[in-house]
Amino acid sequence: MTWLIWRQHRTEVCVLGLLVGMFGIALLVLGTGAHDLFPDGPARCAGEAGINEACAASFRRLDEEYGYVENLLAAFYLVPVVIGAFLGAPLLARELEDGTWQLAWTQAVPRMRWLAAKLAALAGVTVALTGMFTAVLTWFRQPFDAWEGRFQYDAFDLEGLVPMAYALFAFGVATAAGAILRRSLPAFGVAFGAFLAARMSVALLARPAYATPLTTMEPVPVGGSKDQAGHRPVSSFAGWMIEHGYADATGRRLSWTEYYELEGAANRAGTNLNQFLHARGIQQFEVYHPADRFWTFQLIEAALFVAAAAVLIGVVVWRVRRRMI
Amino acid sequence: MTATEFALRTDGVGKRYRKGWALRDCTLALPAGGVIALVGPNGAGKTTLLRLVVGLLAPSTGTVEVLGHDVTASTPQTLSRVGFLAQDHPLYKRFTVAEMLRFGRACNLRFDQGLAERRLAKLGIPLDRRAGTLSGGQQAQVALALALAKRPDLLVLDEPVASLDPLARHEFLQVLMGAVAEGGVTVLFSSHVVHELERVCDHLVVLNHGRVTLTGDIDTLLAEHRLLVGPRTATDLDRAGAVVEAVHSDRHTTLLVRDGAIPTAPGWQAQPIALEDLVLAYLRRPSEPRAAVTSGVAA
Repeated sequence: MTWLIWRQHRTEVCVLGLLVGMFGIALLVLGTGAHDLFPDGPARCAGEAGINEACAASFRRLDEEYGYVENLLAAFYLVPVVIGAFLGAPLLARELEDGTWQLAWTQAVPRMRWLAAKLAALAGVTVALTGMFTAVLTWFRQPFDAWEGRFQYDAFDLEGLVPMAYALFAFGVATAAGAILRRSLPAFGVAFGAFLAARMSVALLARPAYATPLTTMEPVPVGGSKDQAGHRPVSSFAGWMIEHGYADATGRRLSWTEYYELEGAANRAGTNLNQFLHARGIQQFEVYHPADRFWTFQLIEAALFVAAAAVLIGVVVWRVRRRMI
Repeated sequence: MTATEFALRTDGVGKRYRKGWALRDCTLALPAGGVIALVGPNGAGKTTLLRLVVGLLAPSTGTVEVLGHDVTASTPQTLSRVGFLAQDHPLYKRFTVAEMLRFGRACNLRFDQGLAERRLAKLGIPLDRRAGTLSGGQQAQVALALALAKRPDLLVLDEPVASLDPLARHEFLQVLMGAVAEGGVTVLFSSHVVHELERVCDHLVVLNHGRVTLTGDIDTLLAEHRLLVGPRTATDLDRAGAVVEAVHSDRHTTLLVRDGAIPTAPGWQAQPIALEDLVLAYLRRPSEPRAAVTSGVAA
């Protein structure tokens, strides 16, 4: 079976391996330059950025010289679906398209053993390729993460455990769609669509609710300009801001209309906005997930997608076992 | 007969797809040894029946027993006793012929690589060619060599020659019959072409509208049936339920009867019937539910 699986799927595996290798090497080369900006390591520098001018300069240079790569990397959220769907779609669909399922399942290897070997091998390749890519990408992003935290969409979705879970999910959708549609290309399309839909709805709707967000509420400081008043405490800087705004003295959150009315009133009165707000007991609040929830959130989201993948693979196994194909 | 002397036994087998029943009430007992033809028009349910026999499909009703084993409990041992050649003889098109043989070796218990190589060498099919670049006839031969190298006890072929040109068809049947002559293998194949069957087959199953309409040993069937030609008449047609078909011309009535050889009525002439005409007569019959007409092997 090992030889057969390799022979049948070596093209996909080689093409994907080559792509991952090429992007990996490019990131390693670029990443070495970015890491060299921080002789003492980016994490340490991020802690000193406020006081250490060299560190602040390093981060400015990082943004100027490598910021475009970081922006490009955001598109790499598609890597898991490309890997998973590319390996999953033909698993059954190609056999059904070419009629070779009748050849494969009338040899002496029982179909469930055939299916188990194929699923294990290709899911394994899916996880391994995605894992290698994620490892390189995570390393590349270290300086950026030190500065921006790992909770933003361009970090959380590309690092840690979730890319592997996304890839498995794409693999599951593509395999199941291939078994039902009996065509590789439509199965690939379905996997792509399902991946985008699932990823977007989970990231936007489910992820913020994995835990109850924390809320800080503090009076508007008297001194300083408006800009300084807007500065965020360090605790939430690397965390994930869900919502922020102003509340009145009783803690009732103000709508932005109410806030703009206050701002207009301050302008008409000709007083400093912060003093004006402070005098009225206005507070500023932030709702956020702290940075140390990163791994908890990663685990929850990975479990969600792995569970979905398991259900889809279960459908495939059930169909093949019932000889519905 | 004991169970193992049957190559295939089905009991009340039916298969329903979403569109409806493809096969109903199929009860068969086919003897081991020799060549069994499964005949019927396109859409009669032949492919469905063959896929049930090799375990590619599970029946919606009834049981299928191949070589004494229930096919739904497929183990490597039972699977290796049955060879299957699907319609249009699918192969992995990107594999070379040698890789197809390696596939057969990797996936079977008693694969005879030497046998397959000898067969292909005799046919002049190079091992280093990709399967997809071979002609249709050569692809069929590679698929047949693969199936035969399994050394199966039952070889099932779905319309094996339907897509082949006359020459390739002849070559294919020659190889197949050669393998049968070497002994040990029961062949079950489907066809919608009726002529030439007599030469090749020992046993016949006629399938129409998803039902078995006739099954039996070919010699016995031919001995039991005959044509009676007499003056045109509309009465006295049902000779004890033995009339299979009645055809009236201006002056004559021709009856196909299945009555053994009881004496003919005065004014009537008896004639033997050719196998092709016999099959066509059964295929022309309306598709109402009717118990299969069995003969030959006692069910």
